[in-house]
Amino acid sequence: MSRINNDQASAAVWFIVGLMITIASVPYGLGTLDSPGTGFLPFLAGMAITLLSFIGLLHATLKRRMGVGWKPMMRGVIWKKSLIVLVALFAYALLLKALGFFLATALFIGFLLRAVQPQRWPVVMAGAVGTAVGAYGIFEVWLKAQLPKGPWGF
Amino acid sequence: MVMGFQVALQPANLLFCFLGVLIGTLVGVLPGLGPVAAISLLLPTTFHVTPVSAIIMLAGIYYGAMYGGSTTSILVNIPGEAASVVTCLDGYKMARQGRAGPALGIAAFGSFIAGTIGVVGLMLIAPPLAEMALKFGPPEYFSLMIMGLTILTFLASGPMWKALLMAAFGLFLGCIGMDTLMGATRFTFDILELSDGVGLVPVVMGLFGISEVLLNVEQSMERSIFETKIRNLLPNLKDWADSLPAILRGTGMGFFLGVLPGGGAVISSFVSYAVEKKVSKHPEKFGTGVIQGVAGPESANNAATGGAFIPLLTLGIPANSVMAILLGAMMIHGMQPGPMLVKEQPGLFWGAITSMYLGNVMLLVLNLPLIGLWVKVLKVPYPILFPLILLFCLIGAYSLNNSIVEVAIMVIFGLLGYLFKKFEYEAAPLVLALVLGPMLETALRRSLLLSAGDPTIFLTRPISAVLMLIALFLLAYPLVPWLRKRGRGLPKGEAKD
Repeated sequence: MSRINNDQASAAVWFIVGLMITIASVPYGLGTLDSPGTGFLPFLAGMAITLLSFIGLLHATLKRRMGVGWKPMMRGVIWKKSLIVLVALFAYALLLKALGFFLATALFIGFLLRAVQPQRWPVVMAGAVGTAVGAYGIFEVWLKAQLPKGPWGF
Repeated sequence: MVMGFQVALQPANLLFCFLGVLIGTLVGVLPGLGPVAAISLLLPTTFHVTPVSAIIMLAGIYYGAMYGGSTTSILVNIPGEAASVVTCLDGYKMARQGRAGPALGIAAFGSFIAGTIGVVGLMLIAPPLAEMALKFGPPEYFSLMIMGLTILTFLASGPMWKALLMAAFGLFLGCIGMDTLMGATRFTFDILELSDGVGLVPVVMGLFGISEVLLNVEQSMERSIFETKIRNLLPNLKDWADSLPAILRGTGMGFFLGVLPGGGAVISSFVSYAVEKKVSKHPEKFGTGVIQGVAGPESANNAATGGAFIPLLTLGIPANSVMAILLGAMMIHGMQPGPMLVKEQPGLFWGAITSMYLGNVMLLVLNLPLIGLWVKVLKVPYPILFPLILLFCLIGAYSLNNSIVEVAIMVIFGLLGYLFKKFEYEAAPLVLALVLGPMLETALRRSLLLSAGDPTIFLTRPISAVLMLIALFLLAYPLVPWLRKRGRGLPKGEAKD
């Protein structure tokens, strides 16, 4: 059996996050009770996260002693697919301004249609171009949303 | 009320009401895209219309989704959205027995009855409550928000420390940006977009929309629709006799739970199912295709939508994450929900409420004849559907401020939402705390200024004290079974979380 369980791992991460928030709040100024400063509530929130994660850590450790071990979260799932989607999302966010909405969207949709659960090429091409044209028409032309334009002006 | 109908019956508002309930039903039908994500997504599209039309449409999406959610539960055994999870238990079994028609029919009629009664309740309760809320000062508001957050964490599944931790993290996120009392910025890391705070819309779309897609794509994406001829949508007399008490009970409970900050449609549907099982002469039949198991929860989740508007419209406090988005929408449109809304903008207040009457009628007309169409929508393969859902979320986040930062925030919260679900943390307390954070901070600091730093102000003012005591009771309640077992000398390990 593994040394730690899921709750112990997550509570430990939260403990660090809570401490970081607490410490980072101090320079903003805590003020006094009759005149709380800018850092007052973030400090309290950070303290609360630290305290609650400590309680969680104790709780999870008790459970661990009772035999509750690590529960695999990726068993029975194809995690590579969610990773592909996540990478595509970050890439879209990075390339949207540079490529413009139309091209970035066509590439994004085409990539997802082909890479996650591979569709036939005609479906990929039609889906990518059709979605980009349709979304551009609805959001840019009809709803007047100001979508980023690439070097080609669309 | 007459003024409300005058507003709601204007052609433009009727059109937006229709669009809202239609989109809501579609969103409810499609698994993986809930009302929170849909309202967030469509919020920027309402910037060009009047505030009344915008709120009418966005509210329509919310209660429309409650109607649509039942269709997938009954026909595919996949809840279209969380409030219809419990409908799967008996609804799908009814479909397997060839009774998909009456199941869909009673879900639609029950939703209609409950939705309408919920709106009547909203109409009757909201104005006097708004009058009472005028007496609220910062300490009362602070205590009310603390109680709302506590209720939500109390009702969350899993250990309470996790839900409280999420609420505390949400409060911290709410602190990012400009300190409204001092004018200083916090935790912005020199990113200009963060000086207005972390946007609710990208956070919600990330936590609920993107994360849901990430979880769905890693599962097998094959889903089968139960092939059956859907006929006899009108329930027979026996169905009605069995269902009517369940509909009325579900309506009462749903409305009450909807009003409570932290309550809402999901909890109401589960409570209604539990109550129906409890009062039934044949509880053992629940889960085998009993019509009350569909009628009760579907009524409860629709009544809850009406109830949920009460704290928003009268106190300016959102009862759940959908209401939080609506609060944001109202503020973007220059409205300040709260006790003054009914006095200052009666046209909007009553127009929004009466549009819900009309919306409920539209939904009944839409749902029954269009069920065939919704089934066709369900047949769109998920590998084709999910890129579209992602694209809508991306456009929605970007078009809020024409900013890539908002897109990045959404993707980051998508990843966080995915991890939260893997590690069994509920996102709802985080969202509510994020929304309430700035209001809560202002109320807390004003209360302390008012009392010259004396924190007992929250316990010395009667309304505030009652609200605080309720919150404290809820916080202490999970310890009761543990203490009781310790008192009996049982081993510690046997105590429940």
